[in-house]
Amino acid sequence: MILTGSKIHDEIDAGHIVVEPFNVSQLSTNSYDLRLGYKYLKYREGVIDPKKEHLYDVYDIPETGLQLEAGDFLLSESLEIIGSDHFVPIIHAKSGTARAGLFVHVTADLIDIGSIGKTTFQLYATLPVKVYPEMLLAQVSFWRPEGEITLYKGKYQNTTGPQPSKTYLDYA
Amino acid sequence: MILTRQKIIESVDSGDITISNFESARVNPNSYNYLLGEDIKVYIGGSSDGQPEFETVTMKDDGYVLHPGSMYLGVTDEVIGSSRYAMSLIGRSSMGRFGLFLQISANLGHTTSSHQWTLELHTAKSIRVYPKMPIGQVSFWTNFGAVKCLGKNYALYNSPTERLLS
Repeated sequence: MILTGSKIHDEIDAGHIVVEPFNVSQLSTNSYDLRLGYKYLKYREGVIDPKKEHLYDVYDIPETGLQLEAGDFLLSESLEIIGSDHFVPIIHAKSGTARAGLFVHVTADLIDIGSIGKTTFQLYATLPVKVYPEMLLAQVSFWRPEGEITLYKGKYQNTTGPQPSKTYLDYA
Repeated sequence: MILTRQKIIESVDSGDITISNFESARVNPNSYNYLLGEDIKVYIGGSSDGQPEFETVTMKDDGYVLHPGSMYLGVTDEVIGSSRYAMSLIGRSSMGRFGLFLQISANLGHTTSSHQWTLELHTAKSIRVYPKMPIGQVSFWTNFGAVKCLGKNYALYNSPTERLLS
């Protein structure tokens, strides 16, 4: 079952959902709106090999906006720290973001229960589009789990800043 | 409701979930990491009637490089299914962070399906994939209402399967 906006609010008050900073105006009927943070990450050229660490650079998103072209792919982060030890978060674009042709995640919308941090956005543009720091970009919904809970303790825990893939650790 | 790690393990034990070559080390807090099967279908152009045509490549140990701008069909190495739960089959976040889609907007796996799932691979960056690499994740969801199979189509296939015209 999916939590309503008022239930999300209650669970934040109860400490069962983390959203920091929390702003009641970002609550919507079935989700909480997420803002874009301040950094973005771009991989360097070359064929990515998941068995190896691929080089990348991290930049500030200019206050005047970052222009993405169709086909561009980069990683960024939510401004908010989010997560829950009680509910499963799922990331979505805001409908307006999607209508501008921008993916905010690539294939993996599901966040592990117990994973707390700034979520990494996977920005993939299908049209030219500009993004700004602190813009309302995405939304997170929360879902009830069934069964005994095991909390996440994986390689992306407690991170801030856009996190590149760390698949090379799987092959270490 | 979405099943937790513990509930997934219990459901595999009880037979409510089928995952071949199941390894408990690959169960996440609320999903299971599946592996990429060795066959990939590569788009080679349209046929005279406009339908896409694919050629099957069987990967060797050094894998295969996917490039942006195309779409490839892969397959899960495992048979995955459930007669009790509905499924959502997506990529791992570690692959999404590289810009690799494992499905194109159709993540829903119907209750009662049990087979090797076709993957729709589309990549934003050139990337090498390897046979049997942990590439995606599947989650399991409780149903509300009586489960009744209203027909199977793609669930009858265990290899990368392109669109079938009715």
